Amino acid sequence: MTCARRIFIKINVIKIGRTVGACRRFFHAELVRHESSGLPIVHHNQYVCELPVNHRFPMAKFPRVLHFLLKDQVITDKQVWAPKIPSKELLSCVHTEEYLQNFINGNVEEKDQRRTGFPWSQGLVRRCRYETGGTVLAAEVALQRGLACSTAGGTHHAFPSYGSGFCLLNDLAVAAKYVLNNSSKRKVLIVDLDVHQGDGTAFIFKEDPSVFTFSVHCAKNFPLRKQQSDLDVSVQDGLEDKEYLSTVEAHLPHLLQTFRPDLVLYDAGVDPHQEDELGRLRLTDQGLYQRDLYVMKTVVSRGIPVAAVIGGGYSRDIDKLALRHSIVQRAATQVWRECGM
Amino acid sequence: MEDSEFEDVLDDWFIESLKTYKDLHVYQLEHPTKVIEWTSEKTVCVAGYTSSKNEILELRLPLKLLADKNKGLCAERDFKVTYGGFTEGAVCCLTHVPGTRCLVTNDGLSSDLQLWELGGDDSDVIRRTGLVQGRSLSDGGSKIAAQLSPSPQVLHGGLISDVLLTELSSGLTVYKLETQSSDRLSSLQFESEAVFLAGCTNGSVYVADTRTSAAPQLLPPPESSHESVQWWADVCAGPHLSCSRLIRLSSVGVAVVSDLRNAGTSVSRAQLDVNAQRSNPDIRVCWSPTLHDYVSVSGFGGVVEIYNVSSWSTDSQVVAESLFQHRGHAVSSNVDVSVVVTAHTWHPERPRTLMSAASDGSVHVWDWVEPHQSA
Repeated sequence: MTCARRIFIKINVIKIGRTVGACRRFFHAELVRHESSGLPIVHHNQYVCELPVNHRFPMAKFPRVLHFLLKDQVITDKQVWAPKIPSKELLSCVHTEEYLQNFINGNVEEKDQRRTGFPWSQGLVRRCRYETGGTVLAAEVALQRGLACSTAGGTHHAFPSYGSGFCLLNDLAVAAKYVLNNSSKRKVLIVDLDVHQGDGTAFIFKEDPSVFTFSVHCAKNFPLRKQQSDLDVSVQDGLEDKEYLSTVEAHLPHLLQTFRPDLVLYDAGVDPHQEDELGRLRLTDQGLYQRDLYVMKTVVSRGIPVAAVIGGGYSRDIDKLALRHSIVQRAATQVWRECGM
Repeated sequence: MEDSEFEDVLDDWFIESLKTYKDLHVYQLEHPTKVIEWTSEKTVCVAGYTSSKNEILELRLPLKLLADKNKGLCAERDFKVTYGGFTEGAVCCLTHVPGTRCLVTNDGLSSDLQLWELGGDDSDVIRRTGLVQGRSLSDGGSKIAAQLSPSPQVLHGGLISDVLLTELSSGLTVYKLETQSSDRLSSLQFESEAVFLAGCTNGSVYVADTRTSAAPQLLPPPESSHESVQWWADVCAGPHLSCSRLIRLSSVGVAVVSDLRNAGTSVSRAQLDVNAQRSNPDIRVCWSPTLHDYVSVSGFGGVVEIYNVSSWSTDSQVVAESLFQHRGHAVSSNVDVSVVVTAHTWHPERPRTLMSAASDGSVHVWDWVEPHQSA
């Protein structure tokens, strides 16, 4: 009797194990949250690395974004997924072998390091890889659940063979390419509303009809040497909430209608904000919230999944900046609720 | 350089500047200036130097730079023109009479000075209010210095033999420097209310006390192995008695620091790594008004360099390394003719804030990061 029962149970366990294993294969994750019905948030504590004292890049913002979302009870920790570190193979769908080899091993020339704005370190390599992994996971989860947000991402100045402007790996490009190569999805739309043009992404997908790159950016901001996205909207200094939103509204619905993407990757950079140190626009907190709400609602209500990343933002006040970055997750939470997801 | 190549250079410079500056603001004037003169901690005056009509402007610094806290709240990142006027000729020297709204200019040709008032009667105009006659009949213009007490006074002259101290309200001559030589001046500066220094292009410096009729003290030119060099000078006259040093810089980059308390004996020397081929009348050397031992140099090219003289020895063979180089003017100029920095100055109170202007009309205000602290 006992033997029979044991065998019965064993069979059941194997069956369940197989199912769980199958789910795990679909996600590049260290931690999955199938049981949570809330908005999926992607975060990893390895999104940060040590930087020299007084370095301009606000590295500390990533954990602070999560901190404020939890503290303000916008989300619970049960909603937080953690990405796996992407393999060199996964990254090579966008980046050259030579660049990846040198980057991972620290064989980076002084002048190339300078253009990135970062001094090379092992920690830097690790955090860039995790950040890219986060965007890939957000895309995977969005495909399954309809909407997902990372607490990092938006490294759109990275080109296949070099980094630039605080970007070393192009997370949006890797996520787009990964989805196209590993699912039945055929088209990805990248909506980049960071105040700096997504030049790396534009370059990577220039000849690729399955990815549409759309960038709204300030003409006078870095990079001065612009690439050609599929749709570039270059705005003047000092643009405020109302006009900025009108600009996005003038293009997004039409793009969704004509391009008909299977997935939207959304770079919700907060550097169009009036308090941003490097951006030259004049958006307010409300303006950013309305923008993010509009973009995600417009996409989701057409039944298209969207994965959002925080994009760029520069301020010496890390907490203020992190709160600003958390706007996109707050807007996503509202969309999640309103659309009954 | 091709446009896209130049844009690349500017992009590289932008990323680098994030690390090397705490702040950097760039402005473009319609016409270049050779003068930058503080009229308050937030405002400066600049003026053109073409041979005919020129604009004279007072600019307010970008609010974003001045706000130490809540930097983000200041949307204004540009300079703002607060007052403006027109001159009949070039402006080669411009001095603000401290504590007043009065400016004094010279056109670099005659020895006469023009007097101006900033605003007044609720207008935003800088208008001519008078003239101060110089003593010299020779060409070459006058150098100017001004002080508020004992009464608003202007020190001026083109040659050492022409130096006059004129009281502004009465127009009367308060002091006349009597000397036999007729060396051309390269600088004129008050060391205190009663004592001033007159630096000559041949390297000698006269120290005069306006309370006595005694002849001024003469500090001979520094030893130099080069013939026919020109010299510029700056005196560090801080409120502390210990800070009474003179620096002299030659057109081939020899820099000599002397102690005024000790009969001007040479304290240290250095050879600066400069492009000495260029003979430029706009060479400037300035002590920092707040940081002890810091000196800035410009005019040899498109760069402003900052040095810490405490590392200099008495061995003039040593080539001094600059602590910091502001290369903004050189980098952002895409013209065939090399750009030259025409003027620069330290902020009177903010320790590491400087302002510089170049021959292409660019004006930069920058807050630099001490190298050992940067990323």
